[in-house]
Amino acid sequence: MKLKEYIKDKSYAFFLFLLFLFLFSLFLFAFKLDLSFILILLMLYIIFFFLLFIIDFLRKKVFYQKLLSWTTSLDKSYLVLELLEEPNFYEGRILYQVLYEINKSMIENIGIYEQQTIDFKEYVEMWIHEIKIPISSLVLMNHNHKGKFPVEAIQQIKRIENDVEQVLYYVRSENAEKDYLINEVSLKKVVSEVALRNKDDLLENKVDFIVDINETKVLTDSKWLEFILNQIINNSIKYKKDQGDSYIHLSIKETEKEVTLEIKDNGIGIVTSDLKKVFEKSFTGQNGRKKAKSTGMGLFIVKRLCEKLGHQVNISSVLDEYTKVTIIFLKNHYYDVLK
Amino acid sequence: MKKILIIEDDKTIQNELLELLKGAEYEGKALQDFENAEQEIIKENPDLILLDIHIPYLNGEILLQKIRKKSNVPIIMVTSKNTEADELLSMMYGADDYITKPYHPNILLFRIANILKRLEEHQENFAYKDIMIDKEHGILKRNQIEVFLTKNEMIIFSYLVSHKNKVVTRDELMTTLWNNAEYINDNALTVNISRLRTKLKEIGYENEIETRKGYGYILG
Repeated sequence: MKLKEYIKDKSYAFFLFLLFLFLFSLFLFAFKLDLSFILILLMLYIIFFFLLFIIDFLRKKVFYQKLLSWTTSLDKSYLVLELLEEPNFYEGRILYQVLYEINKSMIENIGIYEQQTIDFKEYVEMWIHEIKIPISSLVLMNHNHKGKFPVEAIQQIKRIENDVEQVLYYVRSENAEKDYLINEVSLKKVVSEVALRNKDDLLENKVDFIVDINETKVLTDSKWLEFILNQIINNSIKYKKDQGDSYIHLSIKETEKEVTLEIKDNGIGIVTSDLKKVFEKSFTGQNGRKKAKSTGMGLFIVKRLCEKLGHQVNISSVLDEYTKVTIIFLKNHYYDVLK
Repeated sequence: MKKILIIEDDKTIQNELLELLKGAEYEGKALQDFENAEQEIIKENPDLILLDIHIPYLNGEILLQKIRKKSNVPIIMVTSKNTEADELLSMMYGADDYITKPYHPNILLFRIANILKRLEEHQENFAYKDIMIDKEHGILKRNQIEVFLTKNEMIIFSYLVSHKNKVVTRDELMTTLWNNAEYINDNALTVNISRLRTKLKEIGYENEIETRKGYGYILG
């Protein structure tokens, strides 16, 4: 609250007061009163007039100053009322009450949307569990009645499975709720799950799967990590070169503070101008157009999940040579002590 | 024949699972009366149970706890709930394994075989005809002649031995190898099998592994 602005706001009062002083002095002069008496009288008027405004200014300043500075400095400015005390002057109390009511109605409104989002998420999760039952049936039928199903059928089923899973993790990654569980997880075990899931695809596409991973354990959610690796490996298979021997190489580097998992392929690579955008939502880029199958969601979800789990994910590539994705897991020494 | 009880309310999956188990030479049986699941299970006395979490009348996790109070029968949770928390909870309640739908049928069969095998620990050193098999050191021994197998060759040979006189598909061999973290490709499998044949020939068993074109291999 600035003094200058305050005075400007009260200019009509100053104007009226000056007018009053002028008329009043004229009046006093007209009665031929003693000059010193007139001056003392005017001085008293002026002093009390200014006192009135200074006191008023100071009372308001304390409240408004806090309101203004906290509103701008808080990252969630709607919480400002939680910090403010109700002021002791009339206008301030009106403002305070109004803000309180607005806040309340806003929170109620957000609550409705929040509930809707939660309901929707629960519905999607439930639906995904339901849809997995017919998918499982199809996989089993296909296995039990070889020959009745065309070979392509199983690939299509697998595509459905992957796309369905993507929806599940998209919903999970977008939700504020914490539905992961950090645990000590063997990288070898997660990689083996992902390898088995993609075995047919890898063999079919003649992509060699090379794993140099020891017994290292990392702190993560194994199901989320499985999804993340699955997306990356699916991309490597999808964007392999048409000619020559293809491979995907998984390796780890370990330091005092972190474990880095590297997934490198010798696929078609990514153009430099696309590289920094691959984690963006719905970004497909040149490769997506070339292979014409991309939704641009896979890596976006991967990035979101990594952020939630506290892992760092990076990508580097040279066109026509390789693509390399690294995931960095931080070590938690506090956790070691707890054991 | 090992008896496997399926606790799953979806009829299609139930039937397909029964067929899958039959193909793998297990005696499959599906639970029909979910209301009295507990008594039914005790009555059936299976060697292994495949248990879904979403079943009528009872939650699978609760049923799991109830079974555990009375029996140590191996239980594999087969479910579409794929969160870490669900898995941990199931393992805590005493499940032996946890597989999420949709699973690869061969992988399910593997997990079943693994658990049943774990119960018969003494299997480590076993034999085929008059060949002594030392799995741990990768040695085949017959009449004082020893040959050394690589890890991959041993995995393939053990699988063939445990399925002798039956046709084993390349996919089954691949799944076994990949399940043991040996991510080899098709060519490597062919090479491994021909090297295994050479080594068997060294100890006097020529043409022991037959190729059935379009199907796979058969030992014996």
